[in-house]
Amino acid sequence: MEMITRGIEEKTYTLNLGPQHPSTHGVLRVLLEMDGEFITKADPDIGYGHRAHEHMAENRNYHQFLPNLGRLDYLHALAYNHGYCMAVEKLIGVAPPERAEFIRVITNELNRIASHLLWFGAYLLDLGAFTPFLYCFDDRENILDLLERVTGSRLTYCYYRFGGVPLDIDDDFIAGARAFVKRLRSRWSDYDNLVTKNVIFIHRTKDVGVVTKDQCLQYGLTGPMLRGSGIPYDIRKVEPYSAYPLFDFEIPVGQNGDIFDRYMVRLAEMEQSLRIIEQALDKLPNGPIMAEKVPKRVKPAEGEVYQAVEAARGEFGCYIVSQGDIKPYRIKLRVPCFANLSVFPELAVDTLVADLVAILGSIDLVIPEIDR
Amino acid sequence: MLQDKIKAALAPLNLEKVADGDYAKTGYHLEVAAQPEQMPQVAQTLLDTGCFLESLTAVDLGESFTMVYHFANFFELCRTVVHAALPKPKGMPSISKVYPGANWYEREVFDMFGIHFFGHPDLRRILLPDTVDYHPLLKSFAGDPWK
Repeated sequence: MEMITRGIEEKTYTLNLGPQHPSTHGVLRVLLEMDGEFITKADPDIGYGHRAHEHMAENRNYHQFLPNLGRLDYLHALAYNHGYCMAVEKLIGVAPPERAEFIRVITNELNRIASHLLWFGAYLLDLGAFTPFLYCFDDRENILDLLERVTGSRLTYCYYRFGGVPLDIDDDFIAGARAFVKRLRSRWSDYDNLVTKNVIFIHRTKDVGVVTKDQCLQYGLTGPMLRGSGIPYDIRKVEPYSAYPLFDFEIPVGQNGDIFDRYMVRLAEMEQSLRIIEQALDKLPNGPIMAEKVPKRVKPAEGEVYQAVEAARGEFGCYIVSQGDIKPYRIKLRVPCFANLSVFPELAVDTLVADLVAILGSIDLVIPEIDR
Repeated sequence: MLQDKIKAALAPLNLEKVADGDYAKTGYHLEVAAQPEQMPQVAQTLLDTGCFLESLTAVDLGESFTMVYHFANFFELCRTVVHAALPKPKGMPSISKVYPGANWYEREVFDMFGIHFFGHPDLRRILLPDTVDYHPLLKSFAGDPWK
């Protein structure tokens, strides 16, 4: 008798997804409450990759914190370098020379394309398509080779300094970047034929994981998650920084806010990044790459600053409180995926596990960035 | 202009400070100081003007905390910062009913600083495991627990 009543009451069961699951892109655990095949509640459990970056920041000087930035979002590390350097530059009142700003933009956009290409490959792998992965990693390898020439590393870059960049780009880099722009342009039709027009892909992504405009506002979503829903918010345009106002580019937006729109936004963004790189290479000025009066010992006056930049996943904000010491008093790293993932429990309700994986992947999660 | 609109909307709340910020220096267009109890109303007002919550954090000043809220807008450049001085060991009213996105930010502040948020639907640690008994971003935190 007892057995029967228990059977009626326990209509749902708990399913544990992760933390070691290939579709959670790192170490994310999601606790799912399932009613049959449908999800009634999803509770992401983050923090497995917490390395206390914000606490580290309070215990070292401004220069020593630079390498940490490449280890947040390691896929678009240069944007994080950029945000932090600009915030400190604002605090100490140093402006990088024009050539340095151009180099920053070029390397940043190359890195953005590399990040989107990796998402493209890994996401389709999530959905069960293996071939696109091989194509886009082939392309991405070119960017890594280029960036290795100037930054010295292929991942976790630490390239920008307060007041400029330490190494100049050479003619080989410029020729390589131009060749890459040409090469990637010729690949779009392959990508479209392989994926965008693929019926299975369209069925998996159309009208799945729809993010409404209201949700964007309530959760503070940024990046392709937001632009897929039709809001043209890109910090490079809305709050222009560095050399971005000098270039002509567009902000691609979607309409429905489903996974397919996010996919299209990211693909279109890569083309816009190519346009920026092309223009920047054409207009690249000569001159110094480091500002003249950068103090060796960074000791800003008392005050605080908030600097936002557009990273591949959305807005990265660097909030620094200085109390006139050589160490920052407090640094808050506002990372895009933290907010973007917080909307996920709402998106997951009443979907199937297979769709859940598709939605998770479409947020473009980088767990070390969320956990910090 | 959005900046004036927000100022006008905040005027009836009798806040400590609503002033133009020095954008070139700090990145703020509008600097606001509020009492902790006023925070849900301030958040509601900013939501009504179409602003989203950019970030929510705290700064430990030893005797007290400063709660720092950043708001921005999708369509017009206007960053509003709200500072709320919070004496220890008082708690903070939650704004997660206004901004559901604040839910996780407040959990993070609770996790890192031990600040309690009244009216929060699910106040648990978020980054650290539930078993630890320290709040690492407090200035009184000794540092390496394995030392």
